[in-house]
Amino acid sequence: MSMPAPQPLVRCLAISKYFGGVKALDGVTLELYAGEVVALVGDNGAGKSTLVRILAGFYHPDQGELWFGQQRVDALSPRQARALGVETVHQHLLLCDNLGAAANVVLGQEPTVHRLGPLKFLDHRRGREEAARRLAEVGASISDLATPIRQLSGGQRQAIAIARALAASPRLVMFDEPTAALGSRQTEATLRLIRRVAERGVAALLISHNLDDVFAVADRIVALRHGRPVFNELAGNALRETVVAAMTGLLTERTVP
Amino acid sequence: MSARAGGQPPVVVAADAQSPASATAGRSWRERLRPYARNGGLALTLAIVLGVVGFFRPQYLSRDNLIVVALQVSFVGMAAIGTAYLIISGSIDLSIGSLFALVGVSSAMLARSLHPAAAMALGVALGGAVGWINGALAWRIKLSPLIITLASMSIIRGVVLLLTDGYAVRGVPREFAALGQARVCGVPSPVWMFLLLAAVAHVVLSRTTVGQHLLALGGNQAACEAVGIRVRRLRWGAFTANGLVVGVAGVLAASRFGSANPSFGTGMELDVITAVILGGVAFTGGEGNIPGVVLAVTLLGIINSGIVALGIDADYAEVVKGAALLGAVSLDQFSHEARDRFRTMLAIRERG
Repeated sequence: MSMPAPQPLVRCLAISKYFGGVKALDGVTLELYAGEVVALVGDNGAGKSTLVRILAGFYHPDQGELWFGQQRVDALSPRQARALGVETVHQHLLLCDNLGAAANVVLGQEPTVHRLGPLKFLDHRRGREEAARRLAEVGASISDLATPIRQLSGGQRQAIAIARALAASPRLVMFDEPTAALGSRQTEATLRLIRRVAERGVAALLISHNLDDVFAVADRIVALRHGRPVFNELAGNALRETVVAAMTGLLTERTVP
Repeated sequence: MSARAGGQPPVVVAADAQSPASATAGRSWRERLRPYARNGGLALTLAIVLGVVGFFRPQYLSRDNLIVVALQVSFVGMAAIGTAYLIISGSIDLSIGSLFALVGVSSAMLARSLHPAAAMALGVALGGAVGWINGALAWRIKLSPLIITLASMSIIRGVVLLLTDGYAVRGVPREFAALGQARVCGVPSPVWMFLLLAAVAHVVLSRTTVGQHLLALGGNQAACEAVGIRVRRLRWGAFTANGLVVGVAGVLAASRFGSANPSFGTGMELDVITAVILGGVAFTGGEGNIPGVVLAVTLLGIINSGIVALGIDADYAEVVKGAALLGAVSLDQFSHEARDRFRTMLAIRERG
């Protein structure tokens, strides 16, 4: 399962994106494979978030092609992106503090028993079981799944967000600065989780500032600078200094691929 | 509470390692009962107020009088159900009092030339349409719905006064009044309608995905968007449903009284918000239940009429209602603080 598939799950071909006169992405080509953790690094404004938002369907590329398997989808809506199996674990986690852990994990995909017109009746018990199973998978122990989660720790909240992303049986999970707000032990736990997500045969895209995190978990490292891909190597072959040089502009001549 | 997720690297757990039963085992009976405790408090207060009024004025507890009280409660009650949905999902509609009047006078006017059933249907549809427009404005104009519906409250009241020249609509055919004045098992139809709407609203809120998503929306709209919940449809739907419910209330009121006054529903929005908040709905959204709202609206109705029955100046009712609201929300906050202190204490004890 952890063998990279011969066909990429997601392919970006020479994607460009403009905001007014500003070129946020400039001919980015990127292939994401099942079972692989790709780290996307770059300074602020390098275009990381723009690329993530294109893959999640919030922006549409102005030039270039976006492929999911054999399907070309240039104008993707967020719903379509989710239907294609794209999940994002946001930096701010985007959880409902007023709901319990179980409700957050199954939010938007609640198991139902029967429907009556537009109303779908919840299967509370199955929802709890499903959530408990997902949380166990990510190694979270939360004793009370019904109490509003505002009391929980950063690590527990992170686990809920990842469990929710996995509940959708995704093909691509994007982690947007997942460790930015975490302490060192929680960071370590989160990185292990990212690894584990990829081992399930999912393509994982890690967006991070932190090269320690990137080298700890990534199979491949892609660096963006001013919207252009300036580095794309297997992590095993990459030197930290080279990545830093690419990010900061000392390597712009070696534009890849 | 264990901190394994954060404290130590997570242990790889097989999918079935944690039995589903343990998902519920962690909930103590205290945690399970907590949502109902507040409603218990409301019910107890209701019983005490009824007991006090009944002690001094036994005739207040007569069947006929209680039916009159229930009838008064039912119109505000129907509107409170719509508003509860809106506030739970993080919006509000201040124009409900004006809309109540607009629907009342329009359906009464239509009833003079149309079949009564058509006049009623058009009245309800008008309520839905105005709710739909409010929803569209609230979605499109990125301003608080408080401001937007403050504007529509004023516009709609103006339209009502223009339509009627400020005079009550009379000369409504008897057939139009039949529905509102009908009784089933001795109970007036508006009361039945209120109970029916409350029952449906309760089931939808607590048992369906729509209800769950309304609560989630009130908690964090961005989270709902991120998981693909159709947020716009949900918000818009809540406004439209609220308009329809106010429409039903307005039609029934016009039918019940056999006339419609342009001052119908003046200040109703404030009574309704008072009842909804007293009933345990968080003004910031994401929290609330329908039984609490029904209890609160009934309590306020009994305070209103009970004070009159006791021969106390009716103006004191306003003071008492305000004090009740203040007392209830203070209690909410104190109990939250006490719970946090309790949890802190437990945590300290657990970790030494």
